[in-house]
Amino acid sequence: MPRRPWVLMVYRLPREPSTPRIAVWRKLRRLGAVQLGDGVVALPESAETIEQFDWLAEEVTEAGGDALVWTDARTSGAQERVLLGRMAEALSGEYVVVAATAADAPGDPAARLRLVRQLRRDLYRIDRRDHVHPPEREAARRAVDELAQAAAVQP
Amino acid sequence: MRWATRAGCHVDRAACAWLIRRYVDAEPEFVFVTDPDDVPADAEPFDIRGAALSHHGGDCSFETILRRYDLTDPVLWDIARIVHEADIGDDRYDAPEAPGLDALCRGLSLVLDDHRLLDVANTMFDGLYEHRRRALAGGFGPA
Repeated sequence: MPRRPWVLMVYRLPREPSTPRIAVWRKLRRLGAVQLGDGVVALPESAETIEQFDWLAEEVTEAGGDALVWTDARTSGAQERVLLGRMAEALSGEYVVVAATAADAPGDPAARLRLVRQLRRDLYRIDRRDHVHPPEREAARRAVDELAQAAAVQP
Repeated sequence: MRWATRAGCHVDRAACAWLIRRYVDAEPEFVFVTDPDDVPADAEPFDIRGAALSHHGGDCSFETILRRYDLTDPVLWDIARIVHEADIGDDRYDAPEAPGLDALCRGLSLVLDDHRLLDVANTMFDGLYEHRRRALAGGFGPA
Protein backbone atom coordinates (compact mmCIF):
# COMPACT_ATOMS: atom_id res chain seq x y z
CA MET A 1 0.00 0.00 0.00
CA PRO A 2 1.45 3.39 -0.97
CA ARG A 3 2.35 5.63 1.92
CA ARG A 4 -0.07 8.49 2.34
CA PRO A 5 0.79 12.06 3.27
CA TRP A 6 -0.22 13.18 6.76
CA VAL A 7 -0.88 16.64 8.08
CA LEU A 8 0.59 17.34 11.53
CA MET A 9 -0.13 20.01 14.07
CA VAL A 10 2.45 20.80 16.73
CA TYR A 11 0.97 23.00 19.43
CA ARG A 12 1.49 24.34 22.91
CA LEU A 13 -1.12 25.94 25.14
CA PRO A 14 -0.69 27.59 28.54
CA ARG A 15 -1.56 25.18 31.38
CA GLU A 16 -4.05 27.72 32.74
CA PRO A 17 -6.79 28.60 32.03
CA SER A 18 -7.90 25.06 31.31
CA THR A 19 -11.03 25.94 29.27
CA PRO A 20 -9.22 26.49 25.92
CA ARG A 21 -7.13 23.36 26.52
CA ILE A 22 -10.27 21.31 26.97
CA ALA A 23 -11.95 22.98 23.97
CA VAL A 24 -8.98 22.15 21.72
CA TRP A 25 -8.83 18.60 23.06
CA ARG A 26 -12.56 18.13 22.34
CA LYS A 27 -12.15 19.44 18.80
CA LEU A 28 -9.20 17.14 18.15
CA ARG A 29 -11.32 14.25 19.29
CA ARG A 30 -14.15 15.34 17.02
CA LEU A 31 -11.77 15.50 14.04
CA GLY A 32 -10.55 11.98 14.77
CA ALA A 33 -6.93 13.15 15.07
CA VAL A 34 -4.34 10.68 16.31
CA GLN A 35 -1.98 11.80 19.08
CA LEU A 36 1.70 11.29 18.26
CA GLY A 37 3.06 12.82 21.42
CA ASP A 38 2.59 15.70 23.83
CA GLY A 39 1.10 18.48 21.68
CA VAL A 40 1.65 16.62 18.39
CA VAL A 41 -1.37 15.35 16.46
CA ALA A 42 -1.90 13.96 12.97
CA LEU A 43 -4.59 13.28 10.37
CA PRO A 44 -4.46 11.72 6.91
CA GLU A 45 -3.91 14.72 4.65
CA SER A 46 -6.64 16.24 2.50
CA ALA A 47 -7.71 19.79 1.69
CA GLU A 48 -10.32 19.35 4.41
CA THR A 49 -8.01 18.08 7.16
CA ILE A 50 -5.38 20.75 6.43
CA GLU A 51 -8.11 23.35 6.80
CA GLN A 52 -9.37 21.79 10.03
CA PHE A 53 -5.89 21.95 11.58
CA ASP A 54 -5.39 25.49 10.25
CA TRP A 55 -8.50 26.71 12.07
CA LEU A 56 -7.60 24.84 15.21
CA ALA A 57 -4.07 26.33 15.09
CA GLU A 58 -5.69 29.75 14.83
CA GLU A 59 -7.78 28.98 17.89
CA VAL A 60 -4.70 27.85 19.83
CA THR A 61 -2.97 31.12 18.89
CA GLU A 62 -6.00 33.18 19.94
CA ALA A 63 -5.93 31.38 23.31
CA GLY A 64 -2.34 32.53 23.90
CA GLY A 65 -0.58 29.39 22.71
CA ASP A 66 1.35 28.66 19.55
CA ALA A 67 0.79 26.13 16.81
CA LEU A 68 2.44 25.03 13.59
CA VAL A 69 0.76 23.00 10.87
CA TRP A 70 2.99 20.75 8.75
CA THR A 71 1.80 19.18 5.51
CA ASP A 72 3.01 16.29 3.37
CA ALA A 73 4.50 14.35 6.29
CA ARG A 74 5.28 10.74 5.42
CA THR A 75 6.46 7.82 7.49
CA SER A 76 7.21 4.15 6.85
CA GLY A 77 4.46 1.76 5.84
CA ALA A 78 4.80 -0.08 9.17
CA GLN A 79 4.47 3.09 11.24
CA GLU A 80 1.58 4.23 9.11
CA ARG A 81 -0.23 0.95 9.81
CA VAL A 82 0.29 1.48 13.55
CA LEU A 83 -1.29 4.93 13.37
CA LEU A 84 -4.21 3.75 11.22
CA GLY A 85 -4.67 0.82 13.62
CA ARG A 86 -4.85 3.16 16.60
CA MET A 87 -7.42 5.32 14.82
CA ALA A 88 -9.49 2.25 13.90
CA GLU A 89 -9.35 0.96 17.47
CA ALA A 90 -10.69 4.23 18.87
CA LEU A 91 -13.61 4.16 16.43
CA SER A 92 -14.51 0.48 16.49
CA GLY A 93 -15.66 0.68 20.12
CA GLU A 94 -18.14 3.40 19.20
CA TYR A 95 -19.49 1.40 16.26
CA VAL A 96 -19.87 -1.66 18.51
CA VAL A 97 -22.00 0.40 20.93
CA VAL A 98 -24.27 1.51 18.04
CA ALA A 99 -24.69 -2.07 16.80
CA ALA A 100 -25.39 -3.37 20.32
CA THR A 101 -27.96 -0.63 20.98
CA ALA A 102 -29.71 -1.48 17.69
CA ALA A 103 -29.72 -5.20 18.55
CA ASP A 104 -31.18 -4.49 21.96
CA ALA A 105 -34.04 -2.29 20.67
CA PRO A 106 -37.34 -1.92 22.52
CA GLY A 107 -40.42 -3.72 21.17
CA ASP A 108 -42.63 -0.64 20.90
CA PRO A 109 -42.67 0.51 17.23
CA ALA A 110 -42.65 4.24 18.01
CA ALA A 111 -39.73 3.79 20.40
CA ARG A 112 -37.92 1.75 17.73
CA LEU A 113 -38.32 4.51 15.17
CA ARG A 114 -37.00 7.08 17.63
CA LEU A 115 -34.03 4.83 18.31
CA VAL A 116 -33.35 4.44 14.56
CA ARG A 117 -33.27 8.23 14.15
CA GLN A 118 -30.95 8.65 17.13
CA LEU A 119 -28.58 5.89 16.00
CA ARG A 120 -28.40 7.32 12.47
CA ARG A 121 -27.43 10.70 13.94
CA ASP A 122 -24.79 8.93 16.05
CA LEU A 123 -23.45 7.16 12.95
CA TYR A 124 -23.27 10.44 11.05
CA ARG A 125 -21.26 12.03 13.87
CA ILE A 126 -18.85 9.09 14.08
CA ASP A 127 -18.55 9.02 10.29
CA ARG A 128 -17.39 12.64 10.15
CA ARG A 129 -14.24 11.75 12.06
CA ASP A 130 -13.75 8.25 10.62
CA HIS A 131 -10.77 8.33 8.26
CA VAL A 132 -10.09 4.59 8.39
CA HIS A 133 -13.45 2.74 8.15
CA PRO A 134 -12.89 -0.25 10.47
CA PRO A 135 -15.01 -3.38 9.75
CA GLU A 136 -17.28 -2.56 12.72
CA ARG A 137 -18.54 0.43 10.74
CA GLU A 138 -20.30 -1.75 8.18
CA ALA A 139 -21.71 -4.00 10.92
CA ALA A 140 -23.13 -1.00 12.79
CA ARG A 141 -24.73 0.44 9.65
CA ARG A 142 -26.27 -2.94 8.83
CA ALA A 143 -27.65 -3.32 12.37
CA VAL A 144 -29.32 0.10 12.20
CA ASP A 145 -30.71 -0.58 8.68
CA GLU A 146 -32.16 -3.88 9.88
CA LEU A 147 -33.74 -2.16 12.86
CA ALA A 148 -35.23 0.48 10.53
CA GLN A 149 -36.73 -2.21 8.28
CA ALA A 150 -38.13 -4.10 11.25
CA ALA A 151 -39.63 -0.86 12.60
CA ALA A 152 -41.22 -0.10 9.19
CA VAL A 153 -42.95 -3.48 8.78
CA GLN A 154 -44.31 -3.60 12.34
CA PRO A 155 -48.09 -3.02 12.56
CA MET B 1 -13.23 45.74 -4.89
CA ARG B 2 -11.02 42.67 -4.69
CA TRP B 3 -11.59 39.84 -2.24
CA ALA B 4 -9.14 37.01 -1.68
CA THR B 5 -9.67 33.57 -0.25
CA ARG B 6 -8.14 30.12 -0.33
CA ALA B 7 -8.45 28.10 -3.52
CA GLY B 8 -10.57 24.96 -3.46
CA CYS B 9 -13.75 26.58 -2.16
CA HIS B 10 -16.02 24.71 0.15
CA VAL B 11 -19.27 25.62 1.90
CA ASP B 12 -18.06 28.48 4.15
CA ARG B 13 -16.17 30.29 1.37
CA ALA B 14 -18.97 29.76 -1.14
CA ALA B 15 -21.50 31.13 1.36
CA CYS B 16 -19.23 34.09 2.23
CA ALA B 17 -18.78 34.97 -1.46
CA TRP B 18 -22.55 34.92 -1.94
CA LEU B 19 -23.02 37.07 1.17
CA ILE B 20 -20.39 39.59 0.01
CA ARG B 21 -21.95 39.87 -3.44
CA ARG B 22 -25.50 40.27 -2.16
CA TYR B 23 -24.96 42.48 0.90
CA VAL B 24 -21.50 44.06 0.96
CA ASP B 25 -20.12 44.69 -2.54
CA ALA B 26 -22.34 44.47 -5.64
CA GLU B 27 -19.38 44.03 -8.00
CA PRO B 28 -16.79 41.94 -6.20
CA GLU B 29 -13.77 40.40 -7.87
CA PHE B 30 -12.66 37.16 -6.22
CA VAL B 31 -9.04 36.03 -6.17
CA PHE B 32 -8.01 32.52 -5.07
CA VAL B 33 -4.67 31.81 -3.43
CA THR B 34 -3.08 28.70 -1.98
CA ASP B 35 -0.93 30.50 0.60
CA PRO B 36 -2.05 33.43 2.80
CA ASP B 37 1.23 35.15 1.81
CA ASP B 38 -0.04 35.39 -1.79
CA VAL B 39 -3.05 37.58 -0.95
CA PRO B 40 -2.71 40.71 -3.14
CA ALA B 41 -2.12 43.93 -1.16
CA ASP B 42 -5.30 45.56 -2.48
CA ALA B 43 -7.57 42.59 -1.69
CA GLU B 44 -9.60 41.96 1.46
CA PRO B 45 -8.91 38.40 2.61
CA PHE B 46 -11.68 36.19 3.99
CA ASP B 47 -11.90 32.62 5.30
CA ILE B 48 -8.13 32.36 5.36
CA ARG B 49 -5.91 31.89 8.38
CA GLY B 50 -4.89 35.18 9.98
CA ALA B 51 -7.62 37.29 8.31
CA ALA B 52 -10.09 39.41 10.28
CA LEU B 53 -12.96 37.97 8.21
CA SER B 54 -12.41 34.36 9.16
CA HIS B 55 -13.03 31.90 11.98
CA HIS B 56 -13.12 33.65 15.36
CA GLY B 57 -14.31 32.63 18.80
CA GLY B 58 -15.89 29.44 17.48
CA ASP B 59 -17.70 31.27 14.66
CA CYS B 60 -17.23 30.31 11.03
CA SER B 61 -16.29 33.05 8.53
CA PHE B 62 -19.90 33.49 7.37
CA GLU B 63 -20.90 34.39 10.94
CA THR B 64 -17.88 36.69 11.30
CA ILE B 65 -18.90 38.63 8.15
CA LEU B 66 -22.50 38.91 9.40
CA ARG B 67 -21.21 40.44 12.66
CA ARG B 68 -18.62 42.68 11.03
CA TYR B 69 -21.13 44.25 8.60
CA ASP B 70 -23.99 44.35 11.15
CA LEU B 71 -26.20 42.10 9.04
CA THR B 72 -29.07 41.25 11.35
CA ASP B 73 -31.58 39.73 8.89
CA PRO B 74 -32.88 36.63 10.75
CA VAL B 75 -32.96 34.70 7.45
CA LEU B 76 -29.19 35.23 7.07
CA TRP B 77 -28.63 34.04 10.64
CA ASP B 78 -30.75 30.99 9.89
CA ILE B 79 -28.50 30.26 6.90
CA ALA B 80 -25.51 30.84 9.22
CA ARG B 81 -26.82 28.03 11.44
CA ILE B 82 -26.71 25.63 8.46
CA VAL B 83 -23.34 26.88 7.12
CA HIS B 84 -21.77 26.66 10.60
CA GLU B 85 -22.79 23.02 11.03
CA ALA B 86 -21.89 22.09 7.42
CA ASP B 87 -18.46 23.68 7.87
CA ILE B 88 -17.56 22.96 11.51
CA GLY B 89 -20.11 20.36 12.63
CA ASP B 90 -19.63 21.03 16.34
CA ASP B 91 -23.34 20.64 17.16
CA ARG B 92 -23.62 24.23 18.32
CA TYR B 93 -26.83 24.38 16.28
CA ASP B 94 -29.51 21.94 15.22
CA ALA B 95 -29.09 21.90 11.42
CA PRO B 96 -30.46 18.78 9.73
CA GLU B 97 -29.88 20.53 6.37
CA ALA B 98 -26.12 20.72 6.98
CA PRO B 99 -25.02 17.24 5.77
CA GLY B 100 -26.85 17.81 2.46
CA LEU B 101 -25.32 21.24 1.91
CA ASP B 102 -21.89 19.86 2.82
CA ALA B 103 -22.23 17.01 0.28
CA LEU B 104 -23.44 19.36 -2.48
CA CYS B 105 -20.58 21.84 -1.99
CA ARG B 106 -17.98 19.08 -1.78
CA GLY B 107 -19.29 17.52 -4.96
CA LEU B 108 -19.43 20.83 -6.84
CA SER B 109 -15.83 21.61 -5.84
CA LEU B 110 -14.78 18.32 -7.49
CA VAL B 111 -16.28 19.17 -10.88
CA LEU B 112 -16.01 22.98 -11.10
CA ASP B 113 -13.17 25.48 -10.80
CA ASP B 114 -13.50 28.12 -8.07
CA HIS B 115 -15.01 30.85 -10.29
CA ARG B 116 -17.65 28.50 -11.72
CA LEU B 117 -18.30 27.10 -8.25
CA LEU B 118 -19.07 30.57 -6.88
CA ASP B 119 -21.46 31.20 -9.81
CA VAL B 120 -23.36 28.01 -9.10
CA ALA B 121 -23.24 28.55 -5.33
CA ASN B 122 -24.68 32.02 -5.86
CA THR B 123 -27.86 30.56 -7.33
CA MET B 124 -27.89 27.82 -4.71
CA PHE B 125 -27.73 30.29 -1.81
CA ASP B 126 -30.33 32.56 -3.45
CA GLY B 127 -32.60 29.54 -3.42
CA LEU B 128 -31.68 28.58 0.13
CA TYR B 129 -32.39 32.15 1.24
CA GLU B 130 -35.85 32.12 -0.35
CA HIS B 131 -36.59 28.69 1.14
CA ARG B 132 -35.56 29.72 4.65
CA ARG B 133 -37.33 33.09 4.32
CA ARG B 134 -40.63 31.35 3.60
CA ALA B 135 -40.01 28.70 6.25
CA LEU B 136 -39.37 31.35 8.91
CA ALA B 137 -42.44 33.33 7.80
CA GLY B 138 -44.61 30.31 8.59
CA GLY B 139 -48.11 30.11 7.18
CA PHE B 140 -48.24 27.67 4.32
CA GLY B 141 -44.56 26.85 4.62
CA PRO B 142 -41.71 26.85 2.16
CA ALA B 143 -43.19 24.56 -0.52
